[in-house]
Amino acid sequence: MASKDLRQFIKDLDKTGDIVHIKQSVDWDLEVGAIGRHAYETEGPAVLFEKIKDYPDGFRIFGGLTGTFRRVAIALGLDPEIPVKELYKEYERRINNPIKPVIVDTGPCKENIIVGDDVDLYSLPVPYIHEGDGGRYIGTWAFEVTKDPDTKWSNWGMYRFMIHNKRHIVGWPRYSSHFSMMLHGKYVAQKKAMPMALVIGADPLCDLVATAPIAINADEADYAGGLALEPVELVKCETSDLLVPANAEIVIEGEVYPDRTAEEGPFGEYPGYRMEGSKNGVLCRIKAITHRNSPIFTMISLGIPPDDSSIAASMTAALAMKRRLIRHEIPITEVYVPPYGVTHIAVIGVKPGAGGNAIAKQIRDVLTSRRADCNKFIVVDSDVDPFDFNQVIHAFATKCHPMRGIFVEEIEAPRGNALTPAYNAEERRAYRGAIALFDCTWPPELNVINEVPVKNSFDMMFPEELKKKVLANWKAFGFKENK
Amino acid sequence: MKKEYLTFTPDIKNLKENQEVKLTVKDLTPGPRKYDARIVKAILSSDSKRLPEGDVLHVRSWTGMRYPQTWAIKILKELEETEAGTPHGETINAQK
Repeated sequence: MASKDLRQFIKDLDKTGDIVHIKQSVDWDLEVGAIGRHAYETEGPAVLFEKIKDYPDGFRIFGGLTGTFRRVAIALGLDPEIPVKELYKEYERRINNPIKPVIVDTGPCKENIIVGDDVDLYSLPVPYIHEGDGGRYIGTWAFEVTKDPDTKWSNWGMYRFMIHNKRHIVGWPRYSSHFSMMLHGKYVAQKKAMPMALVIGADPLCDLVATAPIAINADEADYAGGLALEPVELVKCETSDLLVPANAEIVIEGEVYPDRTAEEGPFGEYPGYRMEGSKNGVLCRIKAITHRNSPIFTMISLGIPPDDSSIAASMTAALAMKRRLIRHEIPITEVYVPPYGVTHIAVIGVKPGAGGNAIAKQIRDVLTSRRADCNKFIVVDSDVDPFDFNQVIHAFATKCHPMRGIFVEEIEAPRGNALTPAYNAEERRAYRGAIALFDCTWPPELNVINEVPVKNSFDMMFPEELKKKVLANWKAFGFKENK
Repeated sequence: MKKEYLTFTPDIKNLKENQEVKLTVKDLTPGPRKYDARIVKAILSSDSKRLPEGDVLHVRSWTGMRYPQTWAIKILKELEETEAGTPHGETINAQK
């Protein structure tokens, strides 16, 4: 069974030994970030910081919730040892079966309600994560809820926000994000403030779904229910009609100004680099804070892989790409976004006989039509397992023609990814960029009998009967069991 | 005891000395309010001897790298908490 809330998830991690509890006092100013980062880089467990300098006993910080595939599996209520490919399949099965949320009158997130002039963001143990960041980031592994005033679409998305002062947070949802599309299209244009709720410490599946590129006009809450196999309970905010998970640890309610701003960033981001900050961040005035007793603040000490972003968000991105390609009836098998590719590179397998430049270009075009967060696409034939990077590199090295298999094109604003380190500052600011397509498939016009090179593998080069015999005698020959 | 502040700048050459400038600073006073942002009118100097009544200003680049030399800052006035402007204003301008 999936974890019902963050506290249940912590208990689940305790059972499998996938969490450490740090009971000695740690400093929110860099120390929490350093411990969290080193834990990621050593592929260590999640970390619950139980005593935070300057803050009352009971206020805790939790980092690295789903920073390994094991912990993603635990969040979904699966065997932590499940192979990654099977984990992808189960996630895909669940997200394709959304379940509508239920609205409840109240919930744990209402145990403490602070409104108006009593609001003080510094009452929460918000960490200063990396030396050189622009401020204390309150929104790192948390998500923002906003609503389209016309369609009532409720968007959840994971966008960074930092404390500006005791009553304001300032963030940088990408200009190409659903958040920004809604902000500029429905609120800034009419000079209206946009209600927003920042949800911190909901159950881990709500966080997971907030990282996923779900379609415009689709409510992420439905998909969080699908992942959990039961409806998410939502409760109304104190100062707006936004609905938030009732089990959240902390909810920050506010309004995004259409005509006020503040400096934001810089911040060490998910590609593993820190890029320039912004003079014109998205500024939100806070109207209320509600939280559970002894609240747990969730965070991610973002950086080079692996971490929650490169593990969990890569998986949600890959399966969103797969859904999109299937919707466009492209004959694909799997999409894999390897963690070390930080969603900048994707591997797409095509069905038998479906290779060739034309299909590869269709894949690229479908996946970059609105925005190109991912800018390198490797397309492989059905004999290559996209999840096995040794096989992918072999296909890239041998089947991708250096001229006829590589296609590079510039993309115009605002389709580029403003967090791509390879772009220059001007490209990032304007959301311009480029895409590279690597077609590692055999052209369909080649004759299979006398033109397609034959793969020199155990699977392809020997008669079936002989292969069976070899495998049957493998141990008797003195070899270890086959993998 | 001098107070310490932090500011970010796209280029240190943009910091004007010995004249009133508007900038955003982060208050580095230790405690739970560290990094609180203020928008201020101030006079800056790259040489603290030329601004002896000034506090300490640490300067970081727009990517967060620290310039080795600290500056001096004399805050003349705290301005509004936030500034007039459009969210994503730089991007909107860059796309024009």
